[in-house]
Amino acid sequence: MANTSHIAKEGEIWAVGGGKGGTGKSFFTSSTGTQLAKKGRRVVLVDMDIGGANLHSFFGIGRPQKSLTSFFEAGSKLSDLTVGTELPNLSLITGDIHSIASDNIKFGQKLRLFRQIMKLNVQNVVIDLGAGSHANTLDTFLIADKMIVVIVPEVIAIENMYHFVKNTLFRKLKSTLKDYGFKEIVQHIWDRRQSYGIKNLKDLIEYLKASFSYIGTILDSELANFKIHIVVNMVRSNQDILLGASIKSVLNKFLGISILYSGYIEYNDVVWKAVRERKPFMLNYTATGCAKQVETIVDNIMHGREVSVPGG
Amino acid sequence: MKDEDIKRWQMTLEVGPNASVHDIKNSYLRLRKLYGGGSIVLEPLEDEFPEKRRMKILVDLEEAYTRLLELHRNRTSPGRPAGEAAEAMAVGEGPPGGPATEPGAPYAIEETVFSGPALRRVRERLGIDLIEISKQLKLRTELLKALEEERFEALPEEIYFKTHLKSIAACLDLKPGKVVEDYLGRFREWKRAR
Repeated sequence: MANTSHIAKEGEIWAVGGGKGGTGKSFFTSSTGTQLAKKGRRVVLVDMDIGGANLHSFFGIGRPQKSLTSFFEAGSKLSDLTVGTELPNLSLITGDIHSIASDNIKFGQKLRLFRQIMKLNVQNVVIDLGAGSHANTLDTFLIADKMIVVIVPEVIAIENMYHFVKNTLFRKLKSTLKDYGFKEIVQHIWDRRQSYGIKNLKDLIEYLKASFSYIGTILDSELANFKIHIVVNMVRSNQDILLGASIKSVLNKFLGISILYSGYIEYNDVVWKAVRERKPFMLNYTATGCAKQVETIVDNIMHGREVSVPGG
Repeated sequence: MKDEDIKRWQMTLEVGPNASVHDIKNSYLRLRKLYGGGSIVLEPLEDEFPEKRRMKILVDLEEAYTRLLELHRNRTSPGRPAGEAAEAMAVGEGPPGGPATEPGAPYAIEETVFSGPALRRVRERLGIDLIEISKQLKLRTELLKALEEERFEALPEEIYFKTHLKSIAACLDLKPGKVVEDYLGRFREWKRAR
């Protein structure tokens, strides 16, 4: 795990993940970046969907000349790889890397990438993580100031999201305690969880806190800022909207972490149309309900607020 | 009631300190449905979220709901004995984990026919103000009053207030079909007598 906690960041980093593919992470990243730029902020989007990079398509950009491939293979500087968009204060670092799979990224490369992401001279960096729960994906998620999970109202998406969130928290626990000199304790106890009567990560955290008061103090302070923002995409009913509130409840009771239900985006064919036409959604379909919902979500994430839900 | 208990009940029901009775009820029903079992949100965690823990959550929900409604009632009708308020609004007669929104909830158990005054009694037992329902359903309080007082001459055409009755029934967690049938029965009787 790359420790980047000592590096001073230039802008606020938002990372968009969630485990399952096809939930609309790239759509959400592109729309969120555009909305932040429309609010006057200087924004860079980074496509970290290794193996499935397509963020550039959401801006009508064809095959990009510059990409993260140059960063990993030619040692280019990240800030030299930005590609412009229709908005002067919004640029993109495309992830069209042909020869590097996520698990091939070396520790040193990862650390260099994180350092340079943090030093990008902008107000917001928004990272599209793509699908999966690979360690590199989780580490990238963990450098973010705003960790955002996008799901759709389907059981597989929910299942993958739990997997993603649990792994993120586990990795956070391990890296936090490693920084304080307790390198193996989390894995050691987790591997013997049955004999300790530990069923889930909340039990593990409670066990650690109860057994080692020093660790308890560390975790209280380090996990206080561990917040996950949830966005439910492609909702078709009030029941779907309420799903976000239910997931928040379960994750809070199950993992003991803070969850913010930032908002939902209704299902609308116009999104599909915009993607097919390769037109930036938030610049071309501003009057739609989806666009208004993205605006609300961005405001909620910026200010740590939550959406109000019917009967919630 | 201690402040820390109130805070704990609010946390259990996931409502803020300024939640209305309507918010409390909605949150309670949603959470009871969620932890009652069978939700796609809980299903993937079944192995790690044992039955015992789920049942404990359901028991906590019942306590928090009853207590917060009691608190609300005591604030709005301070003269009423606390025990009586709790009894009147008690919920969860069945075992925890039963259907969450079972229409005809315990606060309506004494009612056999849903007349206007019966609807008022259920509403009052729930501690819901007419203004709250009026805001929720976007209906005039005058109309709601007329319905409860069975001032039939002040009501619009049957076809219109039938829809309103369904919405009111849903708001009070009652079976809409039964409420409409009972109420319209009384309305038609009055109409015939005229």
